[in-house]
Amino acid sequence: MTKNEFLTILANELKKNNIADAEDIINEYEQHFAFKMADGFTEEEIAAKLGNPAVLASQFESAGEAKKYGGKKAITVIGLCFVDLFAGAFFALLIAWEIIMAVFSVSNAVIAVCLFSGMSPWLLIPPMPYWCAAVFGLSLTALSVLSAVGCIYFAAFIRQLMRSYGRFHHNTIAAASGNAVLPSLAIHPRLPAKTNRRIRSAALFSLTLFVICFILGMIMSMISAGALEFWHAWGWFGYTAAN
Amino acid sequence: MNTQYKKGVLELCVLALLKKRDCYGYEVSEYLSNHIDIADGTVYPILRKLKSEGLVTTYMQEESGGPPRKYYSITKLGRETFEKEREEYLKFAQAVEILLEDDENDKE
Repeated sequence: MTKNEFLTILANELKKNNIADAEDIINEYEQHFAFKMADGFTEEEIAAKLGNPAVLASQFESAGEAKKYGGKKAITVIGLCFVDLFAGAFFALLIAWEIIMAVFSVSNAVIAVCLFSGMSPWLLIPPMPYWCAAVFGLSLTALSVLSAVGCIYFAAFIRQLMRSYGRFHHNTIAAASGNAVLPSLAIHPRLPAKTNRRIRSAALFSLTLFVICFILGMIMSMISAGALEFWHAWGWFGYTAAN
Repeated sequence: MNTQYKKGVLELCVLALLKKRDCYGYEVSEYLSNHIDIADGTVYPILRKLKSEGLVTTYMQEESGGPPRKYYSITKLGRETFEKEREEYLKFAQAVEILLEDDENDKE
């Protein structure tokens, strides 16, 4: 088979199979012939190695088939709008929770600083001996770190969930309009193993420190106030001080 | 070997090559037929399929003393897909190897 015979059969078969952009395909095979002939092969050898042009033509996917699904697209889009509404509300909720956690973390850090430095802006922090305040300060620092770690992980989670939802959105429309579907994305964030380990140990460490310091602070306060309910003795929460 | 069976694996091999560098069609064809016993022409339908799935893109580049060549380049989606399918394939191949070797042991 010569180059021209090969290309003619290929062109005819492509046309018969209703393949878009047939010229582009023919061009690729023409270039293949050109490269091989430059290497000293004959047209017959090249054509034989390329394979049967009719078989090759059947391996190109027809563009006409995909259009069949077009009718379902409108329904899918309407359905997706409703899903988007619910998903949007859900994401708003998740983001609100993220903000709450961030505020919680920052306010804990601020209170911890006040406790350490002995400041009491607007007399918001009730009176107590400095060492009790320092231990409570340490415990709140740990709580602040713990919630900051939670914040970071949760932010990664929301981000991945949104990406995953975006991919689902894209795929649903693509499937309805007969386009190629992309691989779906995992819901959970895939952080590097090192980051995962760091997050885990930071969370564990701060949780332990928080619990220990909180209990220690309570015990120290009870002892120094000489009463189980030391907040009564020190006049917290609007109680009048006992002494 | 069954060509239909080989086709999916060949897509993976093409992506592996394009992950390393951009190539024109003939390069891909030569690379594959050097390693695997297939008809030279099979590569072009594969490249076209990968392009229609958005795993690769093409661009034209002028060559000194010749017509412009069509280069194939892997996309971000192509990389994602490659990583995922590579892992799946390797796991599958491992399992097949165990099963087939098992068969050999039974005969002895």
